[in-house]
Amino acid sequence: MLPMIYFVLLGLIAAGSAVCVFLSKNPLYGALSLVVTMVSLAGIYGLLASPFVGVVQVMVYAGAIMMLLTFVIMILNAARDVVTPRFDRVSIFVLPAILVLAGLLAFVLISTPLQFHAEAVRGSVALTSATLFDMSKEGPGYFILFEAIGLLLLSAMATAVLLAKKRLGTPERETVSKEVH
Amino acid sequence: MMEILTSRHWLEWAITIAKFAFAFVPIGFILLLIPLERRGAGFIQDRQGPNRSYFKLPYFGRIRLFGWVQNACDGLKLFFKEVYAPNHVHRILFALAPAIPFAIVLISPCVIPWFAPMVFTFGDAVIRIPGQTVDSEVGVLLLFGLSSLSAYGAVLAGWASNSKFSLLGGLRTSAMTISYEVCLGLSLMGMLLLAGSFRIDEIIAWQDAHVWGIVAQPVAFFCFLIAMIAETGRAPFDVAEGEPELVAGFHTEYGAMQFGLFYMGEYSHIGINSILVACLFLGGYSVPFVEMSTIQANVGISLGVLCGLIVLALLAFLHMIYRYSRWYKTSSASNKEVILREYSLYKLLAWAAVPVVLVLGILSALFFHPEYTIINGEMVYGAGVAFGTALIQLLTLLVKACFFCWVWIWVRWTLPRFRYDHVMHLGWKVILNIALINLVVTAVIAKLVLGGN
Repeated sequence: MLPMIYFVLLGLIAAGSAVCVFLSKNPLYGALSLVVTMVSLAGIYGLLASPFVGVVQVMVYAGAIMMLLTFVIMILNAARDVVTPRFDRVSIFVLPAILVLAGLLAFVLISTPLQFHAEAVRGSVALTSATLFDMSKEGPGYFILFEAIGLLLLSAMATAVLLAKKRLGTPERETVSKEVH
Repeated sequence: MMEILTSRHWLEWAITIAKFAFAFVPIGFILLLIPLERRGAGFIQDRQGPNRSYFKLPYFGRIRLFGWVQNACDGLKLFFKEVYAPNHVHRILFALAPAIPFAIVLISPCVIPWFAPMVFTFGDAVIRIPGQTVDSEVGVLLLFGLSSLSAYGAVLAGWASNSKFSLLGGLRTSAMTISYEVCLGLSLMGMLLLAGSFRIDEIIAWQDAHVWGIVAQPVAFFCFLIAMIAETGRAPFDVAEGEPELVAGFHTEYGAMQFGLFYMGEYSHIGINSILVACLFLGGYSVPFVEMSTIQANVGISLGVLCGLIVLALLAFLHMIYRYSRWYKTSSASNKEVILREYSLYKLLAWAAVPVVLVLGILSALFFHPEYTIINGEMVYGAGVAFGTALIQLLTLLVKACFFCWVWIWVRWTLPRFRYDHVMHLGWKVILNIALINLVVTAVIAKLVLGGN
């Protein structure tokens, strides 16, 4: 009973602030609503007896990535100058997609009985690490995939730096100034 | 509902609820840190520091309590000032922003273990109490997650103030947080690798069994310390406030208690971080060179030794007072009569406390003999022993944390502040790489020596 109450509360907060992301005209308010969504999602992970995933959600998404997003919004000053319209031409494709996805999710939720077994879903730190990286037990583990994703992200970052350098760096090469501090 | 309530002994519930009071320990650190900072700055800069406020007692005259009265006055002033917002701010975020760091400060000490897990017999029941308020296996990660959220306060304040200086301060805060969170996490990883757990009490148990973290991971310790100082945004990393450049950075537009909340948030953050460093690298609550079982077996003598140490501290305090008195007597200060009167109160109190504590210590050493029952082959003592041990461990932890509080103040008033690009350079190009190399070296050594999986 108690987990159900918490789940409904957290779910309402998550869904409500997700709607707020959609409705807010100001990008910064949207970003903040997204932070609230992520924190309440972390709470739901905690309810599913996997606090590790929840904490990583808070640390990585709410703490680091959304902070970066806020940084970008603030540094571009988008929040003050540009008010994005709620609907534009892209919405024609996005809205049906969202509706179809919501319908699918609703179908899945309705067709499966909604109940909580605190013992059924376990995501303790030991289990997570064993599932991901332990080769001795069952299956090869995911660590090669993990490394491959890391490499992919690294190459993406290197590309981004390279692109940014090409665009920003070239004109500056002629005007080398001696900085005096 | 009822089975949850009846699943535990009532004493267990009472202690579990009482442990929530530990949430206010960082707030208590504010009371220590602000006078320590202001008078410590005075000490380092060879001046008096703010200590002129006083209250009057009948015989002893003006009592200043070494500057604590001044800080109480300043706090009261902040508290009673009008909460004011300029016209051009975004009202909701402006009001919300100062609450965020302070709320986080109240939540985040929940994973810090204040004493070793208590096991004791009470009547027929055997009661186990974990040392932390929230007994979670993610432990230190939860603390990091929460402290990474606390930077939103500064960022939102910077944006909502609608002022250029504040915005720059908020920008710098978010950049600093992103950069130094990485260093903070990575420098800690070596220690976690050795202990093999995220739980702080297990990390402390590992240190107790082997060596302190500062010996096992000296490089990580320094990276961690630097990243921590940077994360709270204190000098020499105070680019977010940056008085020379940004007026007061993100809290330029704030006044009264809204500013006070930022201020208190910063200081209690320092308190939490000091406790965390003490836990992770200085053995936390474990008393150096003494096993916990020894303390439990001789709890009366241990409490006696504790009382002896308190007497020693009191005598040191008295020595200081007598030295000052002698100096004032020979000096030509015009207010020396007033000061000597004030000192006579401190002398009276300290001399009254010395025999009381001494007698208490001797009594506990002579008459406090623990009795134990053997359960599952382990000695389990009564409630008195458990609480005595917990008290000793809590005080040990707080003493270690107070030492680190002084380190923060020391660093702030000794080193010149960094320029913004220097801070970024230090974070990404120096500390991050050192922490990474340290992690790899630790992993290799741990694999070779300890043979872990």
